[in-house]
Amino acid sequence: MNKLKKEPLFKVKDLVIDLYTEQVSVRAVDSVNLEVNAGEILAVVGESGSGKTVMTLGPLGLLPEGVSVDIRGQSQCSGQDLLNKPARELAKLRGENFGIIFQDPISALNPMKKVGPQLASQAVRLRGVSKQQGKEIAIELLQRTGIPDPEDRYNRYPHEMSGGMLQRVMIALALVGNPKILIADEPITALDATVQAQILELLKDIQCRENIAIILITHDISVVAQMADQVAVLYAGRIAEYGTMEDVLTRPVHPYTKGLLSSVPDLRSKRGENASGPAGITGSPPDQSSLLPGCRFVERCPVAQTFCSKFRPPLEVLPHLSQRHFVACPVAVESTIEQMEGEAYEQ
Amino acid sequence: MLTLIARRTLLALAMILAASALTFALIAAAPGNVAALIAERTAGPSASAELVQSIADDLGLNDPLPVRYGRWLSDSVAGDFGGSLRTGKPILEEFAERAPVTGLLLVCGGAIALIMSLTIGMLGAISNGGKIDSLLRALSLAGASTPNFFVAALLVMLFSVTLGWLPAFAGSSAASWIMPCLTIALFPCSVLSRVVRVNLQEIMSRPFATTGFAMGYTRLGVLTREALPNIAVPYLTTFGAQFTLMIIGSIVVETVFAMKGIGAFFIEAIRFRDFISMQATLLSFIMFFVFVNLFVDIICLLIDPRIRRQSNA
Ligand SMILES: Nc1ncnc2c1ncn2[C@@H]1O[C@H](COP(=O)(O)OP(=O)(O)OP(=O)(O)O)[C@@H](O)[C@H]1O
Ligand SMILES: [Mg+2]
Repeated sequence: MNKLKKEPLFKVKDLVIDLYTEQVSVRAVDSVNLEVNAGEILAVVGESGSGKTVMTLGPLGLLPEGVSVDIRGQSQCSGQDLLNKPARELAKLRGENFGIIFQDPISALNPMKKVGPQLASQAVRLRGVSKQQGKEIAIELLQRTGIPDPEDRYNRYPHEMSGGMLQRVMIALALVGNPKILIADEPITALDATVQAQILELLKDIQCRENIAIILITHDISVVAQMADQVAVLYAGRIAEYGTMEDVLTRPVHPYTKGLLSSVPDLRSKRGENASGPAGITGSPPDQSSLLPGCRFVERCPVAQTFCSKFRPPLEVLPHLSQRHFVACPVAVESTIEQMEGEAYEQ
Repeated sequence: MLTLIARRTLLALAMILAASALTFALIAAAPGNVAALIAERTAGPSASAELVQSIADDLGLNDPLPVRYGRWLSDSVAGDFGGSLRTGKPILEEFAERAPVTGLLLVCGGAIALIMSLTIGMLGAISNGGKIDSLLRALSLAGASTPNFFVAALLVMLFSVTLGWLPAFAGSSAASWIMPCLTIALFPCSVLSRVVRVNLQEIMSRPFATTGFAMGYTRLGVLTREALPNIAVPYLTTFGAQFTLMIIGSIVVETVFAMKGIGAFFIEAIRFRDFISMQATLLSFIMFFVFVNLFVDIICLLIDPRIRRQSNA
């Protein structure tokens, strides 16, 4: 309960992000509200193109060039407004508060720079230490992120290291500035299965030991189950369901979440449920360049009603104890409440 | 790495051989008889056929072409280009006198092109689609499509004739070098500034540029720290090509501004049908082309760690 009142470390409120290119304009993020507290892992899940990357990196001014971006709403980090900030101040704030890890570490590291000196120069810049100390910090960070023989790796170029090692370097680079928030955009998608587990373990370890908040963007429900405290399910730029990991994964309400989970059989069977939701999801996400009034999921939804395509479904709180489970589907919410009442009555 | 350099060097030597053989053959096939020319210059228009014949024998002009080529090449490599038909002086001496003029022109022009293209390309990238970017793009296009002699004429009209600030002919004063250097730098500068601009833009959309932003750099910081080092290879490659092309520009510029360089020497040689000087100049041009490009190639190999470190991988 305390958490609710405390100002969250990072939050977005009524965030709308429109992207314009010469060909198309897209509402990539549509009125999203999210919060992350210190030491918490928020997993953001959703299909490709659902707006996960744009939503998290957009407020930080990190969208690739070549797109014009129009951001409205609010986005705050420890009480500081990120939007409407001059570019220079926003850059400083990024460096001091955020560490960011990308999907493909080989392309995310400058091919012309040795990994160690790059870390060291960031330590000098962000921590204000001497060159010698910078080098020590760099080696320490390489060690800390599980890179064997860090003195030797210090002088390597990115192309001389494996993907898993490079992702550790990326993590080290993200940690140099002692960030409060780590954003990991599909950090393991490009890696081998064995390395994936190690990187996740490392992230979890960092979160525990340093009380850093992590925003973890992923496709993979099993990663969510393993890592997350909170989960936000994004569909076509909107939040479909948002709540604690237990609530969302064990008591999914939104038909889209159910569909997502039904494609992960072991999770369902662990909970001893038979597949009541849709078996996977048929069809493809809607074209986000046309702004229709109703629910975005309506065309693929197994429980759709006629009014669903007329009004945007509001995010409603479910009456769990936690009061932290939000679902944007009045049909599903109603039937869930009925079901809960029925169960209570039976008891 | 070393084998790579050795291979490039061998390739360069082969190119010199091939190109020099081609020019030798072309000039040998060109109308005009060197022996007759020499006889005409020494004995007047009424030189006898015997005199022509004996001169040709002396010069070995009656030998088969491959033999003549071999002799010419080995003499040239030893530094003996023969004597100029026009001035009678050894061509090597002419080169020694004239090379500093052309050398200075190329170095100054190259330096201007280098500094200006990096500045213009960076300014365009900083402006990124703004007014300055569009203006610079238009100027580069104009610069790349205006011929040298026209630029020279415009500059002379403006600064020498109308304003009277700069001398129209190159002399010993530094001011007299301004217009020739600007003229010769314009084309490479225009091309290179586009190379800088386009490559910077491409690199700014790479993921590691985003990493730069994420580390807390502003756009200017990412441009200079992350993007600029990464355009080195395409930039230097184009710079090498443009720098060698400036030797062609020097022919025009030295003629227009009455400079006593190798480019002007070449034009004079053509005008006087001085085949021996033409051959020698062309050979030196070819060597300049090939060696500059070889040099740039090797630098590019050394710069890019992905290639440089291949041997230890
Ligand atoms: N550079 C861009 N130019 C044009 N549209 C873009 C660009 N980047 C993202 N979009 C659009 O914004 C929407 C959200 O994209 P985003 O990259 O955030 O999705 P995502 O959930 O991160 O997908 P993925 O899982 O593939 O990374 C998509 O509809 C996409 O088409
Ligand atoms: Mg993404």
